[in-house]
Parts: sequence; C-alpha cells; structure tokens
Amino acid sequence: MDKKKIRKIQKKAQKEIKASKNLTDLNNVFKSYLGKKGELSEVFRFLKELKGEEKKKVGQMANQVKNLIEEEIGKKSKKIRKTEKKKEKEEWFDITMPGKEPVSGHLHPLTQAMRKIMDIFKSMGFEIINGPQMESEWYNFDALNFPKDHPARDIQDTLFIQQSEKERAGPKQRLLMRTHTSPVQVRYMEQNQPPFRIIVPGRVFRHEATDARHEINFYQVEGLMVGKDVSVANFRAVFEEFFRRFFDKKVKIVLRPGYFPFTEPSFEIDCSCPICGGKGKCSTCSGTGWLEIMGAGMVHPNVLKAGGLNPKHWQGFAFGGGVDRLVMIKHKIDDIRLFYSSDLRFLNQF
Amino acid sequence: MHAFEIDGVERKRGDYIIDIDVLPNRGPDCFSHIGIAGEVAAIFDLEFRKKEEEVKEGKDKSKDSLELKVNDKEGCHRYTARVVKGLKVGPTPKNIKEKLEILGLQSINNVVDLANYVMLETGQPLHAFDLDKVADQKIIVRRAKKGEKIDTLDDKTYQLDKNVLVIADPEGPLAIAGIKGGKKAEITRDTKNIVIESANFNSQLIRTASQRIGLRTDASWRFEHGLDLNLTESAVDRVASLISSVAGGETSGGRVDFYPQKPPKRRVKLNLEYVNSLLGVEISAKRIKEILEKLYFEIIEESKEELLVGVPSFRLDVYIPEDLVEEVGRIHGYENIKPKFPIASLVPPLTNFSVFWKKRTQDILKESGFSEVYTSSFVNQRDVDVFGYQEEELIETDNPISAEYQYLRPSLIPKLVKVLEENQKFFKNIRIFEVGKIFRKLSSRERKEKTALTGVVSGDVFYEVKGVMDLLLNEMGISDIWYDEYQPTPEDSKIAIWECKRCAEIKVGDDEIGFLGEINSQVLDSLGVEGRVVVFDFDFEMLEGEASEEHEYNPVSSYPEAVRDVAVLVPNDIFVEDVLNRISEAGGELVRDVDLFDIYEGEELPEGKKNLAFHIIYQAEDRTLSSQEIDKLQNKIIKVLEKEPDWEVRK
Repeated sequence: MDKKKIRKIQKKAQKEIKASKNLTDLNNVFKSYLGKKGELSEVFRFLKELKGEEKKKVGQMANQVKNLIEEEIGKKSKKIRKTEKKKEKEEWFDITMPGKEPVSGHLHPLTQAMRKIMDIFKSMGFEIINGPQMESEWYNFDALNFPKDHPARDIQDTLFIQQSEKERAGPKQRLLMRTHTSPVQVRYMEQNQPPFRIIVPGRVFRHEATDARHEINFYQVEGLMVGKDVSVANFRAVFEEFFRRFFDKKVKIVLRPGYFPFTEPSFEIDCSCPICGGKGKCSTCSGTGWLEIMGAGMVHPNVLKAGGLNPKHWQGFAFGGGVDRLVMIKHKIDDIRLFYSSDLRFLNQF
Repeated sequence: MHAFEIDGVERKRGDYIIDIDVLPNRGPDCFSHIGIAGEVAAIFDLEFRKKEEEVKEGKDKSKDSLELKVNDKEGCHRYTARVVKGLKVGPTPKNIKEKLEILGLQSINNVVDLANYVMLETGQPLHAFDLDKVADQKIIVRRAKKGEKIDTLDDKTYQLDKNVLVIADPEGPLAIAGIKGGKKAEITRDTKNIVIESANFNSQLIRTASQRIGLRTDASWRFEHGLDLNLTESAVDRVASLISSVAGGETSGGRVDFYPQKPPKRRVKLNLEYVNSLLGVEISAKRIKEILEKLYFEIIEESKEELLVGVPSFRLDVYIPEDLVEEVGRIHGYENIKPKFPIASLVPPLTNFSVFWKKRTQDILKESGFSEVYTSSFVNQRDVDVFGYQEEELIETDNPISAEYQYLRPSLIPKLVKVLEENQKFFKNIRIFEVGKIFRKLSSRERKEKTALTGVVSGDVFYEVKGVMDLLLNEMGISDIWYDEYQPTPEDSKIAIWECKRCAEIKVGDDEIGFLGEINSQVLDSLGVEGRVVVFDFDFEMLEGEASEEHEYNPVSSYPEAVRDVAVLVPNDIFVEDVLNRISEAGGELVRDVDLFDIYEGEELPEGKKNLAFHIIYQAEDRTLSSQEIDKLQNKIIKVLEKEPDWEVRK
C-alpha cells in the first residue's frame, strides 16, 4: 500500500463519480469506496499495520482522499438532484387521469330520507318512537276506530299471521303485519301523558300485488302531537315547515276534506309539485302541478280514549304518509320496487 | 275544496258526466244525484228544492196483495213495498234509457230500468218482483238455509248459507237480499203485476255476504255503506209513480212497511269555543250557525257557549261534535286557516338510543365501504330448506299473496345472500349489510320480533371482515369482546350451511352477541354464488345493550418506548390469541402492546409447527425503562412461553 495506490483509488473514484447518472449510481460509488467493504476503507484497515512516519503520511493522504471523495459525491449528488427536479417540472403529467377512489359505502336512500325527516322533526321538538311490525289487530284497527266489518277496512288489505282458532279468538290476540304506523300512536298514549310530540318512522305491510307504485313492504312516517289546544292551524304550520325543509324549497300546501276512521276532521294533503314548482309541466305531477302527499287530521276522540286519554281535556293532530313516495318525488324515481330490489347499480348512486 | 274531489269531467251525448270521488263516510247520502245536488246547493249557496212525490193510488190496497214477514230483524231494519197492477212491460223511454247507458247501466225493460234510475237518483236500491210468481204472494225476509241455492238474473247459481240474507217466498229464495235478484220472480214481457222492494239492510251483513259469495253490485255497494232509513218510502213512491206513468198500471194504495224501530232524531251538542280551538280560527257564532243550517242541520237550541244541533237522518256520518267541526271547517275552507306555530316548551326530546346506535352502526359500516340494502320481510320455502330453519320456529302468514311471502324472515341472511348473488354479475367485490326486524316463534303462542344487524361480503376476506367487526365494536364502546370457536348445537348440526372451522362466535363475557363465519361451498354452489362468502350477524338489541358512549382514554406516555421481538415455534393448532395472551400476562403493565407481525409455516420448519413472531412494545408512564428492566421482563416472558412443552422460543 503506497501513495501511488491511494492516488489511483482517488482518480478511479472521481471518474466514477463523474460518470454517475443518478443517485443510485452515486450510492454505489460511495459503497464501493467508503462503504464497509469499500476500497478506501480497506486502506484505513491496512493503516493499523504501519508504523511511525509512514503511518502518519499514508494516514494523512488517505484522509485527504476520503474528504475529497465525500465532497465530490456531495456536489454531484446536489447536481443530480437539481437536474431531476428540472426534469420533473418539464415531464408530462396528466391531471385528467382518473384518481384512485377509496372504497366508498352507501346508505340506502330510504335511510337517508328517514334521517332527514327525523332530523327536521327532532329540531321541532318531536321525539322518535318505534313500534312492533307484527301487531295485534286491536292496535292496528279497533283502537284506531275502524268499525269491525266496515268498508273502511277494505282500504287497506291486510296480511294476517297464522294462528290457531283458539288463539286468534282471544281478546286483542289476532295478529297481523301492521298496515300503517298509526298503532304506535295508541301504544304511546297508553304510556305517556300529554303534552307530547312524536314521530314514528317504520316499515308497514299491504297485501297488494306489486307494481311500479306498490310493494308489499314499504315505509311510512307517522306524527302525533297532543296538547290542551293543539289545532289545525298548528298542524299547518308544522307541516309546511317540514315540507319546506324536506324539499329544500317553498311549497304550497292545500288541505282537502278527507276521511280516516281515526281522525275527525280529516284531510288529504296536497302540495305543489316540487319538481316543476306547481307550474304543471312535468311527469311527476302528471301535468297538474299538484301532488297528493299525505293524510292527516285531528285525532278522533275514540282513539284518545283507546289510548287512555280524556278527550275532554286533550286534543291533537296526527299525520302519516309514505316515505318511499316522498323519496320518489324528490329524486324523480318512477318505480318503488327499486328500493327493495337491492340492485347495487341503483343503490350506489345515493 | 269543500267536499269531494272531481276525478274527471267527460262530455257525452250533449251532456256532461262528472266523476266524483265521494268519501266513504258520505256514501249514505252522496252515492246519489240528489245527495250531490244537496251538497252543491249548500256549498254554492243555492236553493235546493226536493220534489215531493204525490202517488196516484188506485182502489186496491197493497196489504191485500202482499203478505210480508221479516224473520231477521237484525238483518233487515226496514222493508217498504208497493204494489203496481195491470202494467205492461216494454221498452224504456229514450231519455231514461240514455241516462242509464251513459252511467254504465244496461237497459233491460221499463220496470227494471226505472228501478235502477231511481236508485241512481235517490241512492236507494230498489228491486221489482213479478207478483204472480211469488208463491202465495208472500214475501219472507230470512237467512238462507244450509244447502240452499239460487239462480240469479244473470244466469249464475250461488250456494247460500245462514250468513246470507235472502228475500224468499214459501217455496224458496227469490233474491239475495241487497245484492242480486233471482230468476224465479224476474220481470219478463209477460209480467202484469209487480211488488217493488225498497229496503234497508244491515250493512255489515250485506258486506260479508257479498264477499262470501263473491258478488258485488251497485245495490250491495250502497247497502254496505249504510242508508238513511227514511229513504225507503220516498224512493218507493217515486219509482211507483214513474212506473205507472210509463208502463201503465195502477199503484195500489198504501205501503207495506216493516219498520219496527224508528231511530230517535240525532242531536249533537256543539261547544262554540271548541270549534275555534280545534280548527285554530276565530269564526263567529253567527257564521257557525249559518254554515250548519246551509248543510241542513237544525239549530234546536242555542246559548252563548253552545248549540244543540239536530242531525238530518241522511247524515249517517255525524254523531259527535268533531263531526260538526269538520262540517264548519270544510265549508269555511281549510285554506282560510292560517298556519300558527304551536307554543310549546323548549325542552328538547329524549334521545331514542335505538335510533342513535343504529345510526352509528350504519355510518361505521358505510365508512368501511359497505352498501346498505333493504330486503323483503318474508322468505319462501326454498330459503327455509336451504338455510335449514325449523318449522316450529317459523311464523307463517295466513293469506300470503304468493309463495314468496309464506314465512316471516327468521334471519336476514337468506335474502342478503340472494342480493349478493344477483349483484355478482355486475360487481366483483360486494359488501352489503342490513339492519332489520326478524321474527321467530318460541312456542305455539309466543312470538318474538327482534332486530338483527347482518352483513355479507364476497371473497376470501375473513380477516378483513373481522377487522371491520373490531372497528365497529370498538366504536360502540364495547370492550371485552372475544372470538370463541363455533360450537354448533345439536340442532344446528342439521343446518350444514357453515364452514365450521372458519366461524367464530362473538362474545362479551359469556354472552354471544354475534357471529362471524363463512358459508360452505356446497350451499353457495346450490345458490349460484361464486367464490367465498363471509357473513356477520349480530343480535342488535344485545349490541345496543353493551354499547356505551364512554371511552376510557389512556394517557399517552411521554417516556420512550422500546421494542423487542420474540419468535415462538408452536403446534399448528395453537391459537394466536393464546400465545398473545400469555405474553401480555407475563409482561404485565409495562408491556403496552403485543403485535403479531409474522406467521411462517415454511418447509424447513418441523412437521405440524408454525412460527409466530411478535413485536413486544415496552413503555412505562412515569419513567424511561432501563435495558436491565426490559431484559428482565423479556426473559420472564420467554420462560413463561417455554413452560409449554410443545412451544419453543427461537433465538
């Protein structure tokens, strides 16, 4: 090992540094000279075997070369980085290529609608209540003032549960799948004293052949407010507010005389078509500018009695309607069966 | 709008047909032209003049020509009849015929047509019998006997029983009361003498009979809704008059009238303040009276606070004060009621925790890439057979519309798997879930309705789904969850749908709150599902019960942590959990975390063994741990692991 050799090492290293095209090359140069098994590192190890003056001289030179190589590697490294950055700036980069979407899930449109409805009513002080889907005939019809074999019961075609003759004959024992969410009104009244305001969303069942507008199971939302002097005027205010917020625009509401066994007076609620603004130029409202949207009325005294409340002291309003329908109107969906078909191509749009 | 909706107006033959959607409770008075005219007059403030019929009577007396016996007073509230003799059956005058045809009724002959005409006019169904064909000229109103049948005017035969009311003569039924006439006493070209029936039957009875025999007519429809008892006499007079003038013949004097119980005049007390309170308006007492009188109500008595109102007999829908409030409201006009926000307390409503946790669950699953679906609440026989549900635990519907709706779903799994299968043609990776009600029978009289949270995922993704479960349970504040091996109960082993080794019971303490597992490939093949399917299924009520919003936050230590690794060679059937627990227990408080980072089962390892490698993270809350302390613990852990005869710590 002598100075000549060291110089040779230096020259070789410098040549290789110059020839390095990228940081990987440069790193390899570092490794081969200054790394654990590098040539210059060998020299330093060899130094151990030298003595005195020679050791000092060779040592000095080795260090000098080491520093030189490190310096040049540093400089070259900077240079390479600068060039690469410049290249990057001029390289073609396509911002219009599709981004890598993370996997996104979806909530069902009816869930989203019911949440919105619940939020609107919650902010007006309504409590959310649930009730059983498998209900007794008593709560579903009798307590709601439906006469026993009156045509009114035809309005809803009912799915009954199989029971033995003996069982179904028992008082309040006949079971069915609830045809509306109204039974929960009575259940709630039995357990609570007015004044109160509740909202009841839930699945209901009709014994109907399915088509674009009818399904066997679908969703309704029911509202009930009872107090000392709750009136039709109060109902109008609450309802108009609900609609305005649900459809995100001002809609007109018209109350039409209607008939339900559980309310008196009863109304059908029509609202101006939120799609065409009531101008009557769209398929949603069949060109009439109006949509029949819900039913409502003042709670019938017999229903208050069935719930254990004294109609002389309490009065209130109740309303109910299909959630599916509201969503169909809002999003211009024409077939109710899409909500239950579970076709992800449809559901994943929400 | 003040009364009913108009469904359409059609111009026909120089006249207009107005299609009116009469509300069911106004059927009794408004299923007739006179009824509608009365409403129109009231609403538009017009004078309504009702024609009083003057019947030209002959010398004969009706009661001499006809004997009437009503056996069923419950079924028949009133039976009024007139007799017309010596008439000639023939074609109907053009104007009457036209009107009937426009309104959808076929013209038969002058007698029958006039009966129908007066029905449309007054709302009272009428029926004419050929008097000479009535045996002994005796009409009996009774329940049919078992086995009796009748041939009707439209050439059909109906089987009757005691639930059907019939108009009969001593020989047998002449008509199905309130529904359809029989052939026996039908009006033919040769009929000379007739008896006209104008009756009031029990609406429930007519309805059930009509449904039972499967026949609904213009007459039965009106009877089902109920009719004014007073209507029978004016209607029968009107039709008798018309018939004699059109078909000739002479109307016998007087009516045969079975009318045992004339109901008292209905009266309702109406509190004036209540009207305004219920509607939320300020209508003067004067105006309230005005409206009621316009609608033919009688103000019998009045005071400053209330009115005593007499209800006309044709308003079968008015019994209580609220009915009168509706009358006032609709005429006043609901559009004139200004909206007024209710004054109520500011206390916000109680949180419904079921709704709260359901929302939380849905959101977490959505953020984890799941799509929510809604499936039918019913399952069919095939679902039951494939998924192995037992008959005793299934709730069946009584009158399903089709086989699709035979049972209430005992689980969300069958339909979710079906959804997965159907969507496989469009999507490679499917992650779906549903929160919904399921139904099971616990015994012959006990039925349970519960909420389930169920999801199905396509692919070989057991651990990914397990990861989501951990996330979900964590977010719900449920701690102490562990995964137990699936041990099928004796009944379950009949249900061979699971890939048992790849299943776990999710438990909190000793309670099973959920299940995670794969469905076996035979079942998936039979359902046409490709690839693997992982299912998770929770009892949602139990989940809610364990959930808590409180999270205990562990303070973050400001002292450095140290990581040491340990590798253990264990038999293949040892659970990772067991080794991990052993390490944690041995290490104690100073082991902040134990992380499995490698499982190696390569060829060089001894048979039946696998190598588990863990990072052990040491950290103290109050000091920097010294190397000695860490070494000491590490050795302790190694000793504990080596205590197991088949376990070997790799050095």
